[in-house]
Amino acid sequence: MVAVTAGDWFSTPENYVFLAIALPLVFAGWRVVTSSNVVHAVLYLVGALGGSAALFLLLGAEFVAWAVVLVYIGAVVVLFLFGIMITRAPIGVEVELSHPLRVRISAALVSGALFVLIAIAALTAFGSESIPEAEVTRTADIGQSIFERFVIPFEVVSVVLLAALVGGIVIARRDPSPEEIAAGKETL
Amino acid sequence: MIDYHALAPELLLAGTVLAVLTVDLLRVEKYWVAVVGLFGLFLSFIPVLTLGFCDTLTFCEDTGTRFLFGESYAVDSFSLVLKALFLGSAFVAVLLSVGYLESDRFWQGEFYFLMLSSVLGAVVMASSRDLVTIFVALELVTGPTFLMAGWRKGDPRSNEAMLKFFIIGVLSAALLLFGMSLVYGTTGELTFAGIRAEAAGIRGGDLEALFTVGVLFTLLGFAFKVSAVPFHFWTPDTYEGSPTPVTAYLSVVSKTAGFVGLLAICYLAFRDATFLWGPALWVLAAASMTVGNLAALRQTNIVRLLGYSSIAQGGFILVPFGAAVAAGVTDVQLEEAFFATVTYLLIYAFMNLGAFAVIIAGGNRLRSAEIGDWAGMFGYAPGLATMLAVFFFSLAGIPPLAGWFAKFVMFRAVLSVGGGWAAALAIIAAVNSVIAFVYYAKVVKSAFMDPAPEHVAVADLARMPTVPSLQFALVLTVAGVIVLGIFPGIIAEIGELTKTFASGF
Repeated sequence: MVAVTAGDWFSTPENYVFLAIALPLVFAGWRVVTSSNVVHAVLYLVGALGGSAALFLLLGAEFVAWAVVLVYIGAVVVLFLFGIMITRAPIGVEVELSHPLRVRISAALVSGALFVLIAIAALTAFGSESIPEAEVTRTADIGQSIFERFVIPFEVVSVVLLAALVGGIVIARRDPSPEEIAAGKETL
Repeated sequence: MIDYHALAPELLLAGTVLAVLTVDLLRVEKYWVAVVGLFGLFLSFIPVLTLGFCDTLTFCEDTGTRFLFGESYAVDSFSLVLKALFLGSAFVAVLLSVGYLESDRFWQGEFYFLMLSSVLGAVVMASSRDLVTIFVALELVTGPTFLMAGWRKGDPRSNEAMLKFFIIGVLSAALLLFGMSLVYGTTGELTFAGIRAEAAGIRGGDLEALFTVGVLFTLLGFAFKVSAVPFHFWTPDTYEGSPTPVTAYLSVVSKTAGFVGLLAICYLAFRDATFLWGPALWVLAAASMTVGNLAALRQTNIVRLLGYSSIAQGGFILVPFGAAVAAGVTDVQLEEAFFATVTYLLIYAFMNLGAFAVIIAGGNRLRSAEIGDWAGMFGYAPGLATMLAVFFFSLAGIPPLAGWFAKFVMFRAVLSVGGGWAAALAIIAAVNSVIAFVYYAKVVKSAFMDPAPEHVAVADLARMPTVPSLQFALVLTVAGVIVLGIFPGIIAEIGELTKTFASGF
């Protein structure tokens, strides 16, 4: 189990930084699922993702940290907001998002049990280990391994994205009316 | 230096995917897109053959199993057999789609593009030997199918099918990825060979609990993909709401891809952890067979019936995995179990695709999927009704149709393990085979013996032809089911080849 004593814990400055990041992160995560306003939930999500990026920085994984910022905060969250705007989904308090109490309690029980299980397992596994002095990962190394060792997953992901793009457009776009097809203006 | 011969099937198929997208741009009749797709599938099949018969060909340098990219990608007999299965089933699935898409207003070119992308994922899946590749391949298999499930855009049931499938699919992908990250975190390895080597040292140590959680989450993710009970809730609604060719594709290619991933992970990465996955999959197998079959008994819609039947068939496919529950299974017994699963998958593809071909052909005429409307089909479409009987009896496991051999090897694998748990599973499987026979036979009886319902215009239906592409698909699958049923030695030979995989690298 955890080998560090309380004295050690408070004398290490990194731990204060960790707390300063982790506590707001937990709060933001909590609010993502509890706020009944979709836009607020998305903004809290930005906080939660930003916090996890900061934790990655603390661990010395710079590339992952910036990937989280660029991909998740920069692209995914913005996409969420665009999605809400474009689909004219109701912005504001959403009553239908609130489940009955019975459902909420069972969801809380399941996620609580899962949390305890994973936390105990993770603490037993890594509780006593200290992270070795972080080696700086060079972006060039990551690029090298993507195009050598991981070239197949890399190429496969590009097909996934292409398929999602093409299929997404078909699902989202308005079908031409039979008259337009008959006139030869549009084809299916 | 990259071995391009080993990668040729994937490269040709990827080329086909792009070619399909390009041909779709041209102002040609849309079925040409399907023709290009079919041709591409055929073309990708050739290198699978040359790789498979490498030792007899003069130009091919026989190197045994080919490993690429640091043991993360393997071309061996197992992966080649399954690539052949995926390409063949996709060929039939495209044939099933042509007439169906022509019959109504659908976006056609993009449909074939999505289907072939998904097949590419399945083909990569068969060779994946590390966690990253297998996860990405699985995403490529399922990603396009989410969209295909919603291809009937105006139909709310199709939208529901897409949305349910998408949400459950994303959830299962998250579980799978979480499990994989724990396995990677505890073993520090991505390749299956590496994980197996590291896992031996983990037993009894601090890391064991976390490793166990990782293994179970990984299994859970795959359980969703193969729609094993209790992770099957999306299946009936998605199968019923999707366009029928998509349902056929989901129940064969996409499901088989899930099983292939499960096989590779269980028999290679977690080989020494049979005590973990054996019991888990024992429960899933028993539950899938029982729940799937009991629910199928009550169905009045034939597509929904096949949906539950495919859940139950998935249970039968899981049975050999579950047999590993008996402690101290030997390598020979594991090989037998592996052989049984692969054989079942190969035969299942033929009979299930065939059953869906009949349903599409019948649905084209009747415009209905209610079993009651199918009554008396023998009177006006004797050929179709006979084929319905062939595929349904094969699914039930009646000799001399191929299904009996699948069931036979499945029971043989379980009984060769012996012991109380394996015997219990064999009994559950036997009881379920009987239940399954009841609902398959009920449909066939209704088609042959009952009079056609009044509102069915028998005279018109008798004159209605079956689309040529559908006829071709029916001939292929009927031939497969009958030939493999009478000469099961062919499939046994192929299954035998893949056994080397189960005995490790």
